[in-house]
Amino acid sequence: MTTIHDTLEALRESADARLAAAATIAELDEVEAATVGRGSPVATARRGLGQADPAERPALGRYINDVATEIAAKVAARRQELELAEANQRLAADRVDVTLPGRVPRRGTHHLITQTLEEMVDIFIGLGFDVATGPEIETAWHNFTALNIPETHPARAESDTLYVDWGEAEQTVLRTHTSPMQARYMMAHPPPVHVVVPGRAFRQDAVDATHSPVFHQMEGLAVDEGVNFAHLKGTLAHFAREFFGAGERVRFTPDHFPFTEPSAQMLVSCFACDGGGCRICSFVGWIEILGCGMVNPAVFRYVGYDPSQVTGWAFGIGVERVAAIRHGIGDLRHFFENDLRTLRQFV
Amino acid sequence: MKTTMRWLREFVDLPTEDPGELASVLDNLGFAVEEVRRIDAPFSGVVVGSVTVIRPHPDADSIRLATVDTGDRQVEVVCGAWNFDVGATIAFSPPGATLRDPDGNPFEVGERAIRGVVSPGMICSLRELGLGDDHTGILVLADGTPLGTDFASLLPYPDVMFDLEITPNRPDAMCTEGIARELAAHYQVPLRTPEVEITESGPPATVTVDLQDPDGCPRFTAREVRGVTVGPAPLWMRIRLEACGVRSLSNVVDVSNYVMLELGHPNHVFDRHRLGDRIVVRRAGDGERLETLDGVTRELTAADLVIADATKPVGLAGVMGGGDSEVSAATTDVVIEAAYFDPPTVLLTAKRHGLHTEASARFQRGMDPNNAERANRRVAQLLAEHAGGVAAPGAVDAYPAHIPPWQVELPLAEVERVTGRRFTSDEVTSILERLGFECQGADPLAVTVPTRRPDVREPVDLIEDIARLWGYDNFGDEVSLGYGGGLPAREQRLRKVRAVMVGAGYSEAQTFAFVGQADLDGLGLPADDRRRQGIAVVNPLREEEGVMRTTLLPGLLKAAANNLNRRVPDVALFEAGKVFIPAPDQAVDPDLPAQPDALAWVLAGPQGASWDGAAREPDVFDATGVWQRLAASLELGGAELRQASPPAMHPERSAEVMWEGSVFGVVGELHPNVAAAFGLEGRVAVGEIDLERVLATPPFWTFETPSSYPPVIFDLAFDCAAELPAAALVATVRRVAGPLLERLDVFDVFTGDQLGEGRKSIAVRLGFRAPDRTLTDEEMAPIRRAIAAAVEDEVGGMLRGEA
Repeated sequence: MTTIHDTLEALRESADARLAAAATIAELDEVEAATVGRGSPVATARRGLGQADPAERPALGRYINDVATEIAAKVAARRQELELAEANQRLAADRVDVTLPGRVPRRGTHHLITQTLEEMVDIFIGLGFDVATGPEIETAWHNFTALNIPETHPARAESDTLYVDWGEAEQTVLRTHTSPMQARYMMAHPPPVHVVVPGRAFRQDAVDATHSPVFHQMEGLAVDEGVNFAHLKGTLAHFAREFFGAGERVRFTPDHFPFTEPSAQMLVSCFACDGGGCRICSFVGWIEILGCGMVNPAVFRYVGYDPSQVTGWAFGIGVERVAAIRHGIGDLRHFFENDLRTLRQFV
Repeated sequence: MKTTMRWLREFVDLPTEDPGELASVLDNLGFAVEEVRRIDAPFSGVVVGSVTVIRPHPDADSIRLATVDTGDRQVEVVCGAWNFDVGATIAFSPPGATLRDPDGNPFEVGERAIRGVVSPGMICSLRELGLGDDHTGILVLADGTPLGTDFASLLPYPDVMFDLEITPNRPDAMCTEGIARELAAHYQVPLRTPEVEITESGPPATVTVDLQDPDGCPRFTAREVRGVTVGPAPLWMRIRLEACGVRSLSNVVDVSNYVMLELGHPNHVFDRHRLGDRIVVRRAGDGERLETLDGVTRELTAADLVIADATKPVGLAGVMGGGDSEVSAATTDVVIEAAYFDPPTVLLTAKRHGLHTEASARFQRGMDPNNAERANRRVAQLLAEHAGGVAAPGAVDAYPAHIPPWQVELPLAEVERVTGRRFTSDEVTSILERLGFECQGADPLAVTVPTRRPDVREPVDLIEDIARLWGYDNFGDEVSLGYGGGLPAREQRLRKVRAVMVGAGYSEAQTFAFVGQADLDGLGLPADDRRRQGIAVVNPLREEEGVMRTTLLPGLLKAAANNLNRRVPDVALFEAGKVFIPAPDQAVDPDLPAQPDALAWVLAGPQGASWDGAAREPDVFDATGVWQRLAASLELGGAELRQASPPAMHPERSAEVMWEGSVFGVVGELHPNVAAAFGLEGRVAVGEIDLERVLATPPFWTFETPSSYPPVIFDLAFDCAAELPAAALVATVRRVAGPLLERLDVFDVFTGDQLGEGRKSIAVRLGFRAPDRTLTDEEMAPIRRAIAAAVEDEVGGMLRGEA
């Protein structure tokens, strides 16, 4: 007759193999039931404990418990193994090709003109300048006369300036520059004045690679007592370094505009070749960036400022031009074709 | 304005040979260098030779054999020209020299046999030298030229041409002398001006000048030169003129042009006999006609100043001469005109006739009245030298009112006030005198302005010259700091609007501000639509850009169509910009039309195609969704959509945007006809709002603390009339639900047989949360009942049960 002892020893010896053979949690559950569950030899042994010799009972009880505990621990260990394997299997089944395109949250782009204008405006905000905008349909008086551009000046010709049918004939134009806001701003504000004017301007130019009837400018104006040519130079040089890079050198050459005198052209050393000469700078090492000058006393007289009291400097910069230079855009038409392949590059 | 390095050197000893350095100096003086070009001889290896023997070709009658002595050796070459004899000095190209073919392409001279005789080199024609078109014979040089001399060294080669941009305030710099004066001032070296001396002989001049309009022509000089022989100008002059972009025509015309480029003053040479005895300077009669040198017959007006003979105009003063009195090959006697014309008169005539010439460009900016006589003499001098003419005694100089130099008073403090640098009296005097101003006194300086400088009238004009000559780069650098300023609230709002649109996936477009009638027709706008009342452009570039835009839609729709045509499928564009309304702008300037900012957007083409989902066609809810995002971000409390059928829009899938009691925009789908008119296929979602109305900054929004208690969430489905706007039902639910309502989502809308004809189901999910406690279902029951009752009462929706 086999004893409890024999039975349990046999169970213990067979447990490892049976646990190893259990390939799933369900099989393991069966093994567990058959070894330590209800109806298992262990359970049978426990139930038979009462019939054992009372003297042997404690030892036998301990023995049964030891076997049960040992097998239960092995079951638990095997269970952990199997659970891990099953979890891994589930994850493996979840595998995808992560190199497929992601779901990119859709986002548009600001137009490069807007980005460039905002960047330029912000540089001057940093210097404590005000920002003003003004009408695009403008009076000929503000666009020309107040800026000391005489009646006979070729810029007023219909071949240069777009006129609109409003008010008296030839008195209303699509502003040809942002400069009329100089006059409007000064007429609305007593000196001192520090302001930049971003905006659109218009010319009678057919569209080609370097001309557009619609374009953008930023005007700047500083008027105060004691403002002089050194302020013009230093401020615009600061702007150029902020806008093009800290290492850029600037140069000023004389130019002529009716509304400033002395007038100048600001050039920056070519950021691409550092002045050595390359395609971007047409092999001269310098790039013309903006026109500027000391406000002509005649302009002060037109707007009601006293030129013996104040001096001022002003500049105007072409937005498309500097943006094109910075980003290598060789044809002005790209700014206005609104081709999304272009616009989406304006990150 | 073009000039050359060699020409400048005749006027000034330049301390540099480097064209780049000279260009930089010119830039810094304000004469922007647009081009620097090296001028090399079009030939090389050509030497001066002399013909010592000529004999017939053994096998050909039309060509000869000539022995050429080049000093160190003699060679016999074949020559087809007959315009020379033994003893002629010629240009000889030995093998290895480079000449030009009839097309102007270079070729290397070789040793080749011509009709059996080997010719080791050739005697050159002008065309072969690349110096002109003449190939009727070889070029015969002046006797006495040393044999063996490199022929190029006898001509102004090599040279460097500078093309300068002369600003309109500097007519005095539109010539070589003017530029040389500036360089002399810069380098602080003397300016050499040409010795203009002529010898007069023969009978006295007989031409008379009747100066009838001294306002239009304050000075008129006329000089007769007799016995000229019209022919080619000397090679050096032709080479120089052509380097400066002026085509050589004849010695007489070339001399006239040369003097203009040299001394600046335009002048004209008439055929003395075709002109007659009397020159009249007067205004034209209305309708009088003149055929100008360009062959165009022009009808004149009483505002045009003309040079006339006894009966008719012979030249448009300061602009262009006439054909009748033009110098021809047969001309022997000429009259040289050099005058000073009133700048506005010339400008208006040039403008009226659309005739802009080198002369008019100079006169309209202002020539020096006191340089006219000198220019006239210079022409006579060069005609004597190069055309064999002799000046007749007694030139006419009609100058009834002498124009003297004027004075400008210049306080030194003013120089400092503008430039920021304290100049001494000596420094200022030195600079200005180098430029030809005369200075007296110390402070203020009394500066006498030469009459060639019409731009200098005020102290600031002198300050400009001082600054230029001092060098802009030699002044200090300081930074102007404002007193605050910053981005105005309106601009901040505009930035926010753009950011919202970009965040919503739309890219910003920039379209032109013009539309055409076809665009407005394409939108299907009724005749009385205000968007048809655009402001016309008087001189549009193209008719289709003839009106200022009243809506941003045409520009955006065209941009959308262009993208789809280029196979860019998922179009999402917006634009924020001005539209132009023909009503006085009371806020900015009542003299101007209103120019409010508008915002529009368009979604066209299949959207959102990807490997795990099909693309979706845009529809009205894309448009209204953008609007909702805008309304939320811009805090447009109380704004709502109202189903409507506005022009251009799909009548059943569009809405008007209501805010503060009025319509200020439309959203929805484009009318299919409008989409088709703009070349767009499928549904197109668009919106446009009057942005100007929402650019005012709202007050600060106030924070609401999110509740930390759990919500009660339940769904309500209503059986309601199919035409009931969901917004009406939602509004009722929201109002009755009260302040505890945290969230409301419409999550299901359907129609079907189970509801019956004309009915639909709208289901909403409501989430309630209290700030201070956990809500219970019991608490919610009366609210739910109240909502159901109100929906039934107010909008006729029957509660279908709770999902």
